Amino acid sequence: MTEPGIFSLLWVLIALPLAGAAILLFGGRRTDRWGPYLGVLTVCTSAVIGVLMLLGLMALPAEERSITQTVYSWIAVGSLQVDFALQLDQLSMVFVLLITIVGALIHIYSLGYMAHDPDRRKFFGYLNLFVAAMLLLVLANNYLLLYVGWEGVGLASYLLIGFWQYKPSAAAAAKKAFIINRVGDVGLSLAIMLIFVTFGSVTFGEVFGQVGEASEGTLTAIGLLLLLAAAGKSAQFPLQAWLLDAMEGPTPVSALIHAATMVTAGVYLIVRSHVIFDAAVWAATAVVVVGLITIFMGAIIGSAKDDIKKSLAGSTMSQIGYMVFAAGLGPIGYIFAIFHLLTHGVFKAGLFLGAGSVMHGMNDDVNMRRYGTLKGLMVITFVTFMAGYLAIIGIPPFAGFWSKDEIIHAAFERNALIGVATILAAGITGFYMTRMIAMTFFGKARWEEGVHPHESPKVMTIPLIILAIGSTLLGMALLFWGNIESWLEPVTGFASEPTPFPTWVYIVVTLIVVIIGAIIGWVMYARRPVPIEAPRGSWLTRAARKDLYGDAVNDALVVRPSFALSKALTIFDARGVDGFVNGLAGSVGAISGRLRRTQTGFARSYALSMVGGALLVALALVLVQS
Amino acid sequence: MTEAVSDFNLGETIVFWVCGGLAVLGALGMIISRKAVHSALFIALTMINLAILYVANAAPFLGMVQVIVYTGAVMMLFLFVLMVVGVDSSDSLVETIKGQRFAGLLLGIGLGLLLTVGIGSALTTSGDIGLTAANDAAGGNVQGLAQLMFDDYVVAFQATAALLITAAVGAMVLAHRERWTPRKSQPELSEERFRDGGHPGNRPSPGVYARHNAVDTPALLPDGSTSLDSVPGPLRARDDVRDVDPADVDEIRELTKGVDS
Amino acid sequence: MEFISPELDYAALAPMIVVGVAAIISVLVEAFAPRSVRRFLQLVLVFTTLIGALVLVVLNSGMRVLTGGQSIALDGPAWIMQGTILILAILGGLLMAEGGVDPSGDAFAPRASALPGSEDERQFTIRGYLQTEVWPFLLFAVLGMMLFVASNDLLMMFIALEVMSLPLYLLAGMARRRRLLSQEAALKYFLLGAFSSAFFLFGAALIYGYSGSIAFGPISFAITTKAGENTLLLIGIAMLLVGLFFKIGAVPFHQWTPDVYQGAPTPVTGMMAATVKVAAFGALMRLLYVAFGGVRWDWEILLWIVAILSMLVGSIIAISQSDIKRMLAYSSIAQAGFILVGVVAASPQGLASVLFYLIAYGFTTIGAFAVISLVRNASGEATSIRDWAGLGKKSPLIAAIFSVFMLSLAGIPLTGGFIGKWGVFAAGVAAGDAWLVIVAVIASVIAAFFYVRVIVLMYFADPTPDTAAVVIPSGFTTVSLAAGATLTIALGIVPQPILDIIANAGVFIR
Repeated sequence: MTEPGIFSLLWVLIALPLAGAAILLFGGRRTDRWGPYLGVLTVCTSAVIGVLMLLGLMALPAEERSITQTVYSWIAVGSLQVDFALQLDQLSMVFVLLITIVGALIHIYSLGYMAHDPDRRKFFGYLNLFVAAMLLLVLANNYLLLYVGWEGVGLASYLLIGFWQYKPSAAAAAKKAFIINRVGDVGLSLAIMLIFVTFGSVTFGEVFGQVGEASEGTLTAIGLLLLLAAAGKSAQFPLQAWLLDAMEGPTPVSALIHAATMVTAGVYLIVRSHVIFDAAVWAATAVVVVGLITIFMGAIIGSAKDDIKKSLAGSTMSQIGYMVFAAGLGPIGYIFAIFHLLTHGVFKAGLFLGAGSVMHGMNDDVNMRRYGTLKGLMVITFVTFMAGYLAIIGIPPFAGFWSKDEIIHAAFERNALIGVATILAAGITGFYMTRMIAMTFFGKARWEEGVHPHESPKVMTIPLIILAIGSTLLGMALLFWGNIESWLEPVTGFASEPTPFPTWVYIVVTLIVVIIGAIIGWVMYARRPVPIEAPRGSWLTRAARKDLYGDAVNDALVVRPSFALSKALTIFDARGVDGFVNGLAGSVGAISGRLRRTQTGFARSYALSMVGGALLVALALVLVQS
Repeated sequence: MTEAVSDFNLGETIVFWVCGGLAVLGALGMIISRKAVHSALFIALTMINLAILYVANAAPFLGMVQVIVYTGAVMMLFLFVLMVVGVDSSDSLVETIKGQRFAGLLLGIGLGLLLTVGIGSALTTSGDIGLTAANDAAGGNVQGLAQLMFDDYVVAFQATAALLITAAVGAMVLAHRERWTPRKSQPELSEERFRDGGHPGNRPSPGVYARHNAVDTPALLPDGSTSLDSVPGPLRARDDVRDVDPADVDEIRELTKGVDS
Repeated sequence: MEFISPELDYAALAPMIVVGVAAIISVLVEAFAPRSVRRFLQLVLVFTTLIGALVLVVLNSGMRVLTGGQSIALDGPAWIMQGTILILAILGGLLMAEGGVDPSGDAFAPRASALPGSEDERQFTIRGYLQTEVWPFLLFAVLGMMLFVASNDLLMMFIALEVMSLPLYLLAGMARRRRLLSQEAALKYFLLGAFSSAFFLFGAALIYGYSGSIAFGPISFAITTKAGENTLLLIGIAMLLVGLFFKIGAVPFHQWTPDVYQGAPTPVTGMMAATVKVAAFGALMRLLYVAFGGVRWDWEILLWIVAILSMLVGSIIAISQSDIKRMLAYSSIAQAGFILVGVVAASPQGLASVLFYLIAYGFTTIGAFAVISLVRNASGEATSIRDWAGLGKKSPLIAAIFSVFMLSLAGIPLTGGFIGKWGVFAAGVAAGDAWLVIVAVIASVIAAFFYVRVIVLMYFADPTPDTAAVVIPSGFTTVSLAAGATLTIALGIVPQPILDIIANAGVFIR
């Protein structure tokens, strides 16, 4: 299908924010004054085009809702043919809308939030860059182009996490995010290579068409590598450690990138590649296990953190765990993974922006133990936050209820045990989210001296209101009016299996567990006074405050050994040549015979290594000769 | 020589073992000797013996070139340089890098063994071809080489010109000191020499009462002290002046006792 | 016996003849032209020559000939590599021509013969002397490289190797600043280079002993016809490879690289890093594929080992470097390992991917060194990585360009480096070297760390009093830098034209 009408603008969708980024980043100080508005404008225009495309797509019959636009032939060498081609189908459509609309709201919010930042032009440049890369990621029609977007969102993410570089913690967090993401990227690049070798193509359509011809072993390997990639980008176990630190970035960034869009790229990748996972049972099972572990890890971390953004980050991990989990369930779960992704994107963005609004009023303090009784002082923030709260814990009719309920139901379709686990996790969600609102909006004021909480300006509250409306209605809208199941079915497939009890039983049980969790949270944090110094807590709380020792494990297993190895190799390699050279640079005038002798000394040890190398080369050839 | 190994005649065998042995000895001596001059002479020994082996193996041109170019020109140039630096100068052979020598020995022996065993086993199984056929084809060894050099390898031959030009220009760049002041005339020089009240005459040569023939050994003055003036400036600047044996000083003092008093 | 004069294909040899003759004219200019006009004459001569030779290469690119007996093969890959070398040499030459960055002249010592720190040196500097002999050296080195990639015979290859190396040894020792470091580096480079040449020669002799020839065609024929005992052949290959591994800077023959990259004048480092990689990999592939294709299974394992060692050692050691030139040196070692992955594949796809990689790497490297030559403090170039902190604030454009180069070296998409890496890795996987590629991908992750560390430092750290300043260069460096940056990005976004050229070039002729 070629690109009629509005769809010929597919490339413009990406080009607009990209041009915005280029102008803002290379334009220099000239653009300081009007730059941020340009950044908002480009994304808003993309959003409008996105909506028009949705209308265009809906006007088409279901089987024609996949449009490919080849911008140009990117790499064509031998059997490798990769086009710079974009593909718009039902799955990418919903992502385009999520990215552009939530992105536009967050751009607008940032106008207020970053109003006083001297570098805000650059901030909007990075945000535009992110939007462009994320759109490329979801619109790519082949894995290689997807990888371009994948790296692009990563790059924008590091730049934004480290945006407040004067905080050493921010720079460290950016570096950490980068390193851990690279591990995931290894998975993706190896997967793409394996896909290319197996199928002779990297284009989605051609690959999925030939899946039947590949062996299950190969498909499992590809699936596991894709899972590794998804785990890196979506902060899933065992690559979860970077997301909590990523909260060092400005709050709009946390909302857009580290809650609503980029971190869900892993889910997109799995659902997009569902044909491979359908054929590789073990890989799919691994996806379920990873998702399930992360659901609990995230929830436990979320329950223990006193930093409002980190607590929300733990919650994000947990919710994405739900999506990954659902995506691992196979055709019974794909649609609900995306459904939850959409509702979560909206209500979590709302929660983060709400948290940002609270911080804005509290002199950028993030410690919830220093909040309290803000409900009367920040009415709009409070009300909108409550909408997000009710959505995330899954109270009908708020958005999260519909999507999470579907995932829990799908889990029971597969296996009662994992179903029970998801209900339990929903209970914990109820607990930690109640804890959050209790500590923030209720109880007694525990403010620092000199803090005068106040409501945020309109430019910040209007996006909050819009997102709150979304948190309330989006679930119903998508399910009943948008008919998300039949919309996505042509792309992802859909299946349903019978369960032992009628649906309402699961709904009621889940609700009861969630409410019990919420009541516990309420009793512990709203009825009792909250100490300003955090109590020592149980071993689980202590572990959770340390991100369940994610850093310690990384440090002990990866970071320290690799640095030690590098140091050792350096010494082995140069035997202190560095030190010698530095000494030489410091005393250029002092030529002495002794120094000269040391110089030849090093040349002879280099020569020695060459002799060793020659021996190695000769042995390798002679001993292994066939 | 187109026949198999066993058909070497006795003379050839003797030449091989004598010259081969001397060549190896020369190579070892070159590495082991402390003095640069000795090393240079040992290389010359190796080169000459190799030249004899080449001639014995039907490659007379190569043998001659080896003698004329390497032993004759290159090595003699080395020796001239060493004379300037001081024939007696020797480098410290104390190894400053821990384990370097041992590792070097180990790897050297390893590589040597591998090559000897590998090449040896390969050569015993394949017969040798020799140069007779190749030499006869062109009507002689020199003619054969000429044929190759000006036909198939003419480009390679031309390319070596680039190498030689680079080497010559490189040597000039690194060693030729340009003047940045106008050259001083003879009167100016002599005037300068007297003006600063220094030593107006010739400097003492290292030969006066010298007990060594090396330029880095200062002359001994009759009173037994050394004259640093007798050592060339660059050596003094590099602090490469040799100490004089106290026994020599005593001996000179003994000899000159009463002469100038 | 009658002598039949040789038949040379002068048309095919024309680019090399032009460069060679120009080099000799350049020496004559040194000898006879007055000092005041030498620099001008040399620049005109060098750039006219290089551009002229490039035009000839383009005109010749359809030819597929063996000439000079069988000693020179001018085939598709040879034209591509000669063209690449010429373009990179033009860009590198532009860096060498830069005279406006160092307040006291160009990047070279005013007189290489003046003792460092002496009154002579000071006087030459004050009087504005320039060592214009660097230009004939550049031309001779280019001649050697062009010959190196076209050598189809061990003797030719050896001579080309030396013609290429000797001028580089000299150029490496002629830095204006930190001259002792530079001279030490040059001496080491020369000694070890001579050592590796000896290995190469020894290997050539053994191969002659095995096959009775030093031309690639007869060697390949001997391999296919001689069954059984081939220890002599294998040891010969091993010794030849030692010589070539040294030139590409593969582990364990890499140790000269950091010293020389650091010590040599930065424009020379850039030119050398880019062009020698092209030349040496070209020669390596021709030797392995054309002469020793018949024993591919024997040398494959060896290349595996060397590739893995190079990738891991290079990228791991680079992490702990504190000098940006040393870091790029170790990075070049790791890159050599990545390129070897494509060489191991030993397929047309592998050859094409290596050619692309070399082109992308060359432009990126020259650009990166161009940036280094601009980032300076009072004592010359600020090569300590610490001094780059906060450069993104002080000079956003230069920092952004350098980031592009680092991202390309790290293999991040939309840069030439990404396509290059992807190409060689895909070729490796297609040739059945999946494990090698896995190691390569892991190494590229480690490598990404230190490339990005520089970016992080430039953007995420605040400028300190030590932070270096960026000097505004003259047109020479600007053109070179702009070309490097543009091509690095263009090769990532629209690589197709180059890929087409490479695809049309085909494989080595025999």
